[in-house]
Amino acid sequence: MIDDGTLKHWFFREIFPLEPMLTRYIRRNWRDEDEVSDLRQEIYAKVYSSARGALPLNPKAFLFTVARNHLINQSRKGHVVSLDLVADLGASPVMVEDVTPERVATGREELRRVQAGLEQLPPRCREIVVLRRIEGLSAAEVADRMGIARNTVDQQVVHGMRALVDFMLGGTGKVRRPASRRAASGESE
Amino acid sequence: MSKAALREEIATRWLLRQSEPDWTDADASELEAWLEAEPENKVTFWRMEMGWQELGRMAALRAPTPPSRVPVENFSEGEFEGGRGLLRRWWPAGITALAASIALVLAVPQFMQPKAPTAGPAIASYATEVGGRETIPLADGTKVELNTASKLRAAVAANSREVWLDDGEAYFEVAHDPNHPFIVHAGPKTVTVLGTKFTVRRNGDNIEVTVVEGRVRVTGSGPAATATSAPVLTRGAVLTAQGDSTLVAAKAVTDLADRLAWRQGMLSFDQIPLGQAAGEFNRYNRRKLVVTGNAAGMRIEGSFRAENVEAFAKLLERACGLRVEMGTDEIRISD
Repeated sequence: MIDDGTLKHWFFREIFPLEPMLTRYIRRNWRDEDEVSDLRQEIYAKVYSSARGALPLNPKAFLFTVARNHLINQSRKGHVVSLDLVADLGASPVMVEDVTPERVATGREELRRVQAGLEQLPPRCREIVVLRRIEGLSAAEVADRMGIARNTVDQQVVHGMRALVDFMLGGTGKVRRPASRRAASGESE
Repeated sequence: MSKAALREEIATRWLLRQSEPDWTDADASELEAWLEAEPENKVTFWRMEMGWQELGRMAALRAPTPPSRVPVENFSEGEFEGGRGLLRRWWPAGITALAASIALVLAVPQFMQPKAPTAGPAIASYATEVGGRETIPLADGTKVELNTASKLRAAVAANSREVWLDDGEAYFEVAHDPNHPFIVHAGPKTVTVLGTKFTVRRNGDNIEVTVVEGRVRVTGSGPAATATSAPVLTRGAVLTAQGDSTLVAAKAVTDLADRLAWRQGMLSFDQIPLGQAAGEFNRYNRRKLVVTGNAAGMRIEGSFRAENVEAFAKLLERACGLRVEMGTDEIRISD
């Protein structure tokens, strides 16, 4: 059994950086755009569960095999995807090389990516995120400084972080807020 | 609506709560329960945590305040590369190309490695106190920096270069000489180079070799050790040996900077358990940190002055809410 600390760093190092490729892969093989992020999350969860036994030697091939199997299984459950798509996916193993390779970014490029992600946040949201994380203030301190409610601070940082992470991992940086009020109240499931 | 978006929102809220000053043990176990409830929760939390940490690195890069960055000369890339490492960890370890002047590594037959200096150049002994640090220029132009509580003997002349690290840790900048390998004996291991930069740390039979530049060969001293099977380490490699077991790992340039922080009198931690961090502080100070209970497993990161253990303890008290009892011989920390 691999411990969670090791697994987490393995995800940081090997799996999450492949997200731009993974997202493209899902999008190409799945009709409903709204389900892409659900599928991606489920694929990560399956990778996590399988990697607990032993870390795969080839993370990329492993990730895309899990992704393919998951897409096939989901489409068999059958309310979204046509069967010829399953046939396409099932015909051959995932050719990882077919998936456009990501150029390995240097540390400096990555930093620019974080900065670019920050810059494309709405100004107020960005200011709050910067105060909270980069200046290291607590939510209450940010609220005091800006004369807004603490809840607002949390909401803005949550939204900002989700957009930032999406952008850093190859997305557009535009994330939708969940419809449920439950999440907004900070209550867990 | 998207389940993923909702889960992401909840994960991010946990992340934020965790960084608030009023975070309690009860909160921690509640989070733990949420993480364990479904694997989707955990991976989503990790994904957000990676971004959160990454963003936090920008604070370290911006901060003009204390020397949290360790300037490591001879790293070909700029300052950002010296910034702490998540940038690096995001991508397959970006160990950059080796320095142009790569030294060839000679295989040194066993019979050339005496167990102890017998003939040849005179042997000089060096030692540092707890908390001490010393730079030693050797006769061949090699520079050795001894870390805290370390012992080194050197038999070095123009035609023969050998040293024995009897205890502690040393950083070597070896003068290039293709005809005379520089040999470091460290307990069960022997390190052979022609001209490079590396550190060797020894604690009894536990040996750690970190290569900063060039190439380094590490051999065992037992009968099974042969020069051909011995690992040749290149820049960024860290070899850890405990008795007969040897592990070689590649480290990012930023991890190297952490490992060399002691040369600036700093200790640099990247999410290591507090218990381990305390062990590091204790190498440098007579007043020992004693960490008990769950506090020992708490992960910390940051750069600290190695000799200022009291400031470190106060920080733990203030920032992490740990209980700190300052004694004259030891500082006890618990949760």
